[in-house]
Amino acid sequence: MRRPGRLPTSKIVVFAVLAFFLLWWVPFSHVLPEGVPFSLGTYRTYQASMIAMWAIVALGLNILTGYNGQISLGHGAFVAIGGYTAAILMVDYGWPFPVTIIVGGAIAGTLGFLIGIPALRLTGPYLAIATLGLALATPQILKKYDGLTHGTQGINVRSEVSDQVGVLADFMDDVFGIHFNNDQWVYFVALFIALLMTVLALNIVRSRIGRAFVAIRDSEIAAQAMGISVPRYKTMAFAISAFYAGIAGGTYTQVVGYVSPESFNFLLSINFLTTIVVGGLASILGSVLGAGGLIVVPELPGLVGFLPGADLPAELSWAFYGAALILVMIFAPYGLAGLFHRLIRIRPAMVVERLSAAYSRSVEALRDIRASRGQTGDGPEDRSS
Amino acid sequence: MDEFLQQMVTGLATGSVYGLLALAIVLIYRSTTVLNFAQGELAMLTTFIGWSIWEWGGHYWLMFPLVLLIAAGLGAFIERVIIRPVEGAPTLNIIIVTLGLFAIFNNVATWRWGGIPKGFPAPPEIQVTGVKFFGEGALDIGPTVVSYHDLTIIVFAVGIMAALYLFFQYTPVGLAMRATAQNPIASRLMGIRVGRMLTVGWSLSAAVGAVAGILIAHLILLQPPMMMGVLLYAFAAAVLGGLDSPVGAIVGGLIIGVSENLVGTYTPQEWLGPDMKLTVTLLIIVVVLLIRPTGIFGKRALRRV
Repeated sequence: MRRPGRLPTSKIVVFAVLAFFLLWWVPFSHVLPEGVPFSLGTYRTYQASMIAMWAIVALGLNILTGYNGQISLGHGAFVAIGGYTAAILMVDYGWPFPVTIIVGGAIAGTLGFLIGIPALRLTGPYLAIATLGLALATPQILKKYDGLTHGTQGINVRSEVSDQVGVLADFMDDVFGIHFNNDQWVYFVALFIALLMTVLALNIVRSRIGRAFVAIRDSEIAAQAMGISVPRYKTMAFAISAFYAGIAGGTYTQVVGYVSPESFNFLLSINFLTTIVVGGLASILGSVLGAGGLIVVPELPGLVGFLPGADLPAELSWAFYGAALILVMIFAPYGLAGLFHRLIRIRPAMVVERLSAAYSRSVEALRDIRASRGQTGDGPEDRSS
Repeated sequence: MDEFLQQMVTGLATGSVYGLLALAIVLIYRSTTVLNFAQGELAMLTTFIGWSIWEWGGHYWLMFPLVLLIAAGLGAFIERVIIRPVEGAPTLNIIIVTLGLFAIFNNVATWRWGGIPKGFPAPPEIQVTGVKFFGEGALDIGPTVVSYHDLTIIVFAVGIMAALYLFFQYTPVGLAMRATAQNPIASRLMGIRVGRMLTVGWSLSAAVGAVAGILIAHLILLQPPMMMGVLLYAFAAAVLGGLDSPVGAIVGGLIIGVSENLVGTYTPQEWLGPDMKLTVTLLIIVVVLLIRPTGIFGKRALRRV
């Protein structure tokens, strides 16, 4: 598989920070003038938190699928485990939220390791469908064993993030006179976790472990010949990726404040895979961009509605989303990250050169058409050239 | 014993539908190694078209071939216009494209026909020398009764399987398609128009899917999310049978249909039972896959050094 050229770490970090900074700006955009689409306050804050949460899952799934080449359509299950662990520990046992997120991640990671062992025998589409089975079974299992999971009604979690960051909140209040509400604190926490996990992912993929993952993806036999233990690293990729999903699940519980079996249906897992392919496989930047894209794109038809003349029926928003997926895959086969890499390489001079080349090509083509028409009788004047 | 047989027959009927859709998936997979996630929604859409034809007063046996033709045309169109531009791309990209199609078909059907479930007709009764085919009611076969529609489904599944077998084994186009599936490059060098074969594969697959849609629409009411569950079972069936084996698809479908029914009936209600039949069925499939990683009939993956 051909992939876009690599950038130095420093640049990738810069871009990652930049991407997050843009997301950071969003929650405060309610200071924007009335009528601008992004000035929606609470909902946008919630969305930005969701983007951070999706980015965490996407990072983990990209380590598994993008870097290690194992397709998983079942990551919703690991997110569910992280989310439910956090919710149960908070509501039934009264644990503080940071601990619940870490424990959720650890449990999901352990389970990911265990599932990684049978997954060793399966490849490609067979693994994809087997993991899809995992995603399908999750809601049923959550509903059935309701002694632990509270069954179909789900678990309501009152988010206490603003209480538990009390010192920090007071500090912000006293020193800067800024008062953040709970949603905004949740957003900061989600963003903080996402940043931490991004740095971790950057380090993993650029370390010995990450290189082993890539070597296995490109050729198991060659990797084995180089002394890499294929089973060890493949299960490790599964465990790391499930750990990410579990952490994201704990974050989800904080962001949404509610978990239920239907929150983790199979479409969620499929959307995670879509995120990393649209964002860019084997790309940290792509994971983040994909998360942003997947949350924002379904809303674009609403925004398009602001434009005069664009009369897209609101009921067709999902079709719009589908068309967007197809277009991205046709015109940006390496996802948004590939598009980004291509864009930053383009120099203005190159654009002019390309455009003029395209222009002269089309002029020539027109001339040819005219010439051939000329042979049949009409439009004779261009034949001389 | 009666109950057991009853569950078996019902399972065989629904299993045949899973098998048909799995067959449609396999037809595309074996030539392009793409899992077509839009297969179920495509079948749903064509079934809705059939419903509209029937509503306008078209006879069932006029509507049926018409829908197959429309489905085949739609399949060819999709391959030519949407799949062809991403043909050389990594498999995952093409899967995402089919997911995009999934969203479009589902949304368009909801938008055009609405979300209210609609009744879909069964094939009308035909009397041939005193023997009744199709229609409503049930047939008494001694220890148990079988509904005519279940029989229709099973007969169609077997019939399509046989027809496809004959097509692949005894026609020049079928031979060319098998060659394309086996080795596209060599086929192209031998003068086979590989692109055209893929188009034919997609239209065949869409037609087979349409049959599955029409047959199951009578059992479960016709509505946009109708095929989602069926698609997932069909994937499981295709994987169980082996993704490159058409026979495996049907067999896998039957196994899943039957085992799903038996698990629902005969496992302890307390901690398994009907609520968990999907989970248990999936577990069985995973166990089978662990023993045979490329399905029951699938070609063993050979590793070339």
